[in-house]
Amino acid sequence: MKKLLALFITCWLASIPSLKAAEAIIVVANTSDKSLQLNRLQVRNLFMGGALPYDLDAIALPPENQTRVLFNTKVIGLTESRIQSYWAQMRFTGRKKAPREFSNEQSMLDYLIDNAGAVGYLPEGISVPNELTVLYTVR
Amino acid sequence: MPWRLWNFVLVFGLALLCNAHPIYAETSDKLQFSGFARVVLGYLDDKNAEYLNYDNSLSIDNESLIGLQADYQMMDSLAVTGQLIGHSGEQRDSGIEWLYLTYTPTNALKLKLGRQRTPFLNYSDVIDVGYAYPWATLPQQTYPRHFFSNFDGLMASYEIPSTLFLMNIEGYWGYFKDKVVVSEREMEAKTTGFHGLISHISFKNWNLRGSYHQGTTSVTLDDVTQFSGLLSQLGFSQSADSLATTGVTEVFQFSANYETVDYFVRGELNRIKADFIFVPDTDGYFLSTGYNYFPFSSYISYSKNTTDYEQPASDIPIGLSPVLDGLAYSYLNIFEQLPVNSSEAYTLGTRWDLQPGLALKGEVSLIKGADNESAFFNIKDTAFDREALLYLIALEWVF
Repeated sequence: MKKLLALFITCWLASIPSLKAAEAIIVVANTSDKSLQLNRLQVRNLFMGGALPYDLDAIALPPENQTRVLFNTKVIGLTESRIQSYWAQMRFTGRKKAPREFSNEQSMLDYLIDNAGAVGYLPEGISVPNELTVLYTVR
Repeated sequence: MPWRLWNFVLVFGLALLCNAHPIYAETSDKLQFSGFARVVLGYLDDKNAEYLNYDNSLSIDNESLIGLQADYQMMDSLAVTGQLIGHSGEQRDSGIEWLYLTYTPTNALKLKLGRQRTPFLNYSDVIDVGYAYPWATLPQQTYPRHFFSNFDGLMASYEIPSTLFLMNIEGYWGYFKDKVVVSEREMEAKTTGFHGLISHISFKNWNLRGSYHQGTTSVTLDDVTQFSGLLSQLGFSQSADSLATTGVTEVFQFSANYETVDYFVRGELNRIKADFIFVPDTDGYFLSTGYNYFPFSSYISYSKNTTDYEQPASDIPIGLSPVLDGLAYSYLNIFEQLPVNSSEAYTLGTRWDLQPGLALKGEVSLIKGADNESAFFNIKDTAFDREALLYLIALEWVF
């Protein structure tokens, strides 16, 4: 029994680094400027509908998606319900429209590869093709 | 009344139709339908007064509404937007709230031409979309209901991005003409040269908004205008001028929001200055802080406003003759009947986000006013102590 408990604890401890790695988020764009880097505020503005001096078009994952939850927490700094309220305010005052949503990370990645200027967020562990550029990483 | 009900039912029907066929709404990128609805159940725990038309019976028809919005992208940079709202309450007319063209020459500049919402205060242009704010209702002390909700004109919005902050500047110019209710009187109002400037800055977790609005407003009050003319003919020019029904109205506003994943603090203050009778100078503010514990958010708020009317002139002599005494009495009586709506409110509430696009709110407010003032209450019994609890439950929906 003790051996089983020790094995469980060992496995749990071993899983911690991988969990941490999985929690890191990268912001990826299909852009010709491979040197382009953004700071957190610029990424936040981009995904909250703000203007940037770059021709980038933000896309998003659905509200229940874990990557979106992490992105909201680490980058946007607001709860999902507050973000939903914000987009209601923007839409019904004619100011901004929420980013187009994709059902999962793979469909987002496929869209990023096919569309110049598209920018989205993905878990760091995902394999990023060479044609895409990582603009920002948050751990 | 039947027409208002018909409008409400019409918008509700259209909204259901759109929601029942979301594929239709989404298949065309150029034409998009969206909407919002709120059902607000209220109860005032006092039989001697009404507050915002709530009394000591459960009512659902004061602030409930439904809105339907259609956006049609005509070209890459040109779109048309229309918004239809059906109100259940008698204070607001149902019908077209918005109808404007949007021209977006760059991703930083946007121009809108047509009927739009007036952006006086932080939530003025979204006051009907309850889902957009944490509270069940915006405090009357800061968001007086006599503010008109839309105007016809041009609005320009320009966004200035930076690596440190995001700044947005909006300017508008237009006019307004419709019926308004001020100081418990309904009157035809017309505002010309209506313009304003709004600056909005986002920096880290802060959002700051400052704005200034101005317009020349004239209201149609035949009885007051005739009496003013009589006073002028008799040589009492100060008294006549004090009954002016045309004048400049100014609104100053500042708000600050600080929010994180865990909590928020929001505050707003405004000053309304009007140099004609029936619209008092008003200072109002609110402060609200809340704690987020998904899917709930609980908050506590305090709001307060003070109002001041121009003092009556004193150029009509009293005690010289019964005729002049009668004239002075009639003149002073106009001022004495003006309702003084200074009050304060303490609010506790919780918002429950049931799912994206759907939230339930419950709140209780203690509203207090001075014994000799109306304090936004419609007083039924003079023994009323100007203190009452208002309970609200609101279901908010966006689709």
